[in-house]
Amino acid sequence: MSTFSSLQQLQGYLQVVTDRQQQITSNIANVDTPGYHGKDIDFQAEMRQVMSGDSSLQMQPASQEETGLIERPDGNDVDIDRESLILAQTQLQFQLGVQLVKSQFHTLLTAIKEE
Amino acid sequence: MGLFDMLSMSASALTAERQRAEVTSANLANAETTHTAAGGPYVRKEVVFSATGASPFRSVINQVGNFPQPVAGSVQLSQVVDDPTPPIQRYEPGSPDADENGMVNYPAINPINEMVDLMGASRSYQLNASAVSAAKQMIQESIDILKSS
Repeated sequence: MSTFSSLQQLQGYLQVVTDRQQQITSNIANVDTPGYHGKDIDFQAEMRQVMSGDSSLQMQPASQEETGLIERPDGNDVDIDRESLILAQTQLQFQLGVQLVKSQFHTLLTAIKEE
Repeated sequence: MGLFDMLSMSASALTAERQRAEVTSANLANAETTHTAAGGPYVRKEVVFSATGASPFRSVINQVGNFPQPVAGSVQLSQVVDDPTPPIQRYEPGSPDADENGMVNYPAINPINEMVDLMGASRSYQLNASAVSAAKQMIQESIDILKSS
């Protein structure tokens, strides 16, 4: 596998993580909005799409409503603990992706320098 | 789509929660106000939140560039409504606001309710502030890719 194809996959990975983080941020912003239902992105399904190389639907991440959450009397079902947990998780996933991108560039640089 | 949208969404929530805290503080401050410019006692106010689309800037950019519109995710304070609870009457014949029977109308404000509301607003504000920190850190990390290792 060449450096460039793994960079492309890493880019897709970072995109999926960013989309998920954005969805979670939106849930957190609407934690007090009556009738709001929390949404989430199916990480595995999106990653499968990225790894298969089919980038036709990349622009529109498929967000779906979270199921099995308890609705408060005002019709809102955002669980703060769950959202903060996913926030921390996606943040670390993003960090991992960035470190991998950096190491790919480092490898490339080593090859260029002929060291 | 993108890291900067997260910042604007969290910012909208910070604004909404701050306005909620402001309205609650106004209720607390006017818990004993019997005289207003509109006449009668102060009326307790309540806020209504509603979910909205992306920031206007992003919407226009995506329209111009023919990109798909991003997910709706911001929040805004859509209206401030009056609490319809009737005022509490107290017998104070000496007060200038007393009616012919010596009763004075006081606003129906329970300080406990207001304090709980204030705490809720404060906690939500904290949560959104940590979301801002998370987004900021991710942006910083992306910038750090450019640094030569």
